[in-house]
Amino acid sequence: MGLEERLPDEGVVTTTLEQAVNWGRKFSLFPLTFGLACCAIEQITSGVSRFDISRFGSEVFRASPRQADLMIVSGRVSNKMAPVIKRLYDQMLEPKWVIAMGICASAGGPFNNYAIIQGVDKIIPVDVYTPGCPPRPEALFYAITLLQQKIQKDKFRDRAYGRQLAAEAARGQA
Amino acid sequence: MTLVNDSTTVPAEPTAARPPTVGEQLAARFPNAILGASTFRGDTTLTVAPTGLTDVARALRDELGFDHLSNLSSTDWSRYRGYAGKERFSTIYHFTSTRTGERIGLKVFAPGGDSPAVPSLAALWAGANWPEREVYDLMGIKFDGHPDLRRILLPNNWPNHPLRKDIPRGGETVPFSMIWEDEEFQSFGKQIVEAKSVQPVPPKQADANKHMILNMGPQHPSTHGVLRVVAELDGETVVAAYPDIGYLHSGFEKQGETIRYKDFLPYTDRMDYVSAMSNNLGYSLAVEKLMGVEIPPRAQVIRVICAELQRLASHLVWLGTHIMDAAGVSHALLMYTFREREQLSDIFELISGARLTISYIRPGGVWKDVPPSFVERVQDVLKAFPARIDEYERMITENPVWLGRARGVGKLTAEQCLSLGVTGPLLRASGVPFDYRKARPYSGYENYDFKVPVMTEGDTYARYLVRLEEMRQSLRIIDQALKNLPDGPVWTADRKMALPPRQELDTSMEALIHHFKLMTEGFVPPMGEVYHSVENPRGELGFYLVSDGTAVPYRLHVRAPSFHNLQATDTMARGSLIADLVLVIGTIDIVLGDVDR
Repeated sequence: MGLEERLPDEGVVTTTLEQAVNWGRKFSLFPLTFGLACCAIEQITSGVSRFDISRFGSEVFRASPRQADLMIVSGRVSNKMAPVIKRLYDQMLEPKWVIAMGICASAGGPFNNYAIIQGVDKIIPVDVYTPGCPPRPEALFYAITLLQQKIQKDKFRDRAYGRQLAAEAARGQA
Repeated sequence: MTLVNDSTTVPAEPTAARPPTVGEQLAARFPNAILGASTFRGDTTLTVAPTGLTDVARALRDELGFDHLSNLSSTDWSRYRGYAGKERFSTIYHFTSTRTGERIGLKVFAPGGDSPAVPSLAALWAGANWPEREVYDLMGIKFDGHPDLRRILLPNNWPNHPLRKDIPRGGETVPFSMIWEDEEFQSFGKQIVEAKSVQPVPPKQADANKHMILNMGPQHPSTHGVLRVVAELDGETVVAAYPDIGYLHSGFEKQGETIRYKDFLPYTDRMDYVSAMSNNLGYSLAVEKLMGVEIPPRAQVIRVICAELQRLASHLVWLGTHIMDAAGVSHALLMYTFREREQLSDIFELISGARLTISYIRPGGVWKDVPPSFVERVQDVLKAFPARIDEYERMITENPVWLGRARGVGKLTAEQCLSLGVTGPLLRASGVPFDYRKARPYSGYENYDFKVPVMTEGDTYARYLVRLEEMRQSLRIIDQALKNLPDGPVWTADRKMALPPRQELDTSMEALIHHFKLMTEGFVPPMGEVYHSVENPRGELGFYLVSDGTAVPYRLHVRAPSFHNLQATDTMARGSLIADLVLVIGTIDIVLGDVDR
């Protein structure tokens, strides 16, 4: 099966820690069980047998934000819900990622009115935007694979703890 | 053209040939309270003085049999043609008799100018509580005697009442002319909205010293969306449950009042997104009633097939999630029900191109005729589904775990249902055989032979059986409709709504102009107001439309079944265990997009 056939006789592969960790992370995304509106139905559908999100290693939906590392914002974000989403995002542990599923979460969609925030990126950072109203499960999977590509390129130093270490190092030098 | 609050049209004296109508009976009884009556497209609306509202409503309920308060809404008339100098706000109440299906509307012009007030009906109908709070929240009309008048959909610190006509729709302007080189572009879309966490306040009725206050939601796996329930607990027993809604409030009504009738249709998909087709049907029928157009028979039958397929799909979602809530051990049944639902989604995709937000049934007919393979695909459903439903029954109906969880939980009596404005399977599981498809048939439902399943127990288990039987009856309706699918057009021939055929555009200048007007301006209904309701998988879905003779609705109100049914949470959960609260929410079968709108 590919990898083990190509292994040298010693059975040792060298890579960077960053590469290995990112490789592990990208195939074990734990999404938050969190649905907002119509897109949540397609999010549920992506988990059932026909589409089967576990092919992409992210079928373990977690109900607690403290156990999840991927937030799929599936639907429109109202003014009343915004603080709740912010708090949920803050409760998730680093590293964490966000997919804005559907046009409402991406940019407000058809709801350009007083009640809806025009894109969830105004309250939390978004990694992948998924167009569609609602996106099909395949579109969500494409977003997940894009996110996996992004995670693979992730640099430790860009993450919050990386920045913290850099700041501490800078303080130590000074 | 009938002006809606035309007080000059006093009801005529009853003649000996026919019995007096409800309006005439009321006018004779309350000569001082009934100020006028109007009939538009078969809807009778009485204008009632604010002081007489409670008496008239009580007489309607206790003496004339109008026991169901269908709809409670309001209108701001300040921009309506011909309303200058008159009362600015009015509330409207639609009552339906669950025995005869008759309906009557009461309209009250609220005195008080910009800070209006009308008497509350919450003492007569417990179900008037939330709709009145909604009217207060969105329109700013106060209800005298309301037990708990505070905002319901919007945050407590919201500065205005958005449905008033002097409040703009809001949102952001889309700068179509902006290009990459513009300096503005750098900052565009990066405005950070302050989202401060609000400290939750326990409801003032709750006794926090004696009982434990437990917050559930808005992010909770079994609240089916973003519902928040504050439960007051004594040990594990629920003393009271206070649902807190509005976390998905999307301003549908305000949005609808700024766009054309035909443009609002896609929004109805996104309201009750589990049964988009039923919403399309409800809205289309309301608009067609306002326009007064006839729909060809083929379109009617296709509509019925689609609405019943949607009922199946919706009940499948309910069944899968409900059993998952109750058992919690596995996703097993959800996998089964979604397998079946995919079969239905494929049919929807076949006819409309979309799986979930369908917009297939439109004011005037259906989008396009069904493709030839449609009949075959629906026949596959008819062949496969009875065995599948039997399979669920074998798995669940006699299952001791399910029996132990569901029996006797979340009880509602018929009186409680009617008082709370609960409709749909919840009402029928409590012994009231009320179904709009039978009581006020639409789209030709009177031509089909089907039963309305009724149970008397009124608990979660009865509602489960009612919904399963409804799925079987839906299959029966689809079977009959498929056998009698007539040929012909699927779009109305009425040129008020229908585009001229392509051939005519080449020869007729009038047809070209007409085409242009319909495409750019949209169809224009006459002045008037209608209320039309259909039987959604969740209950009564109603649309209240006020037209001021333009292509944009003056007032658009949605009577959402989930919103009214959710009011029963407290009644159902009281005295049960905290674990049963999950089941109570599941058995109401809410869709938060429908609740919050």
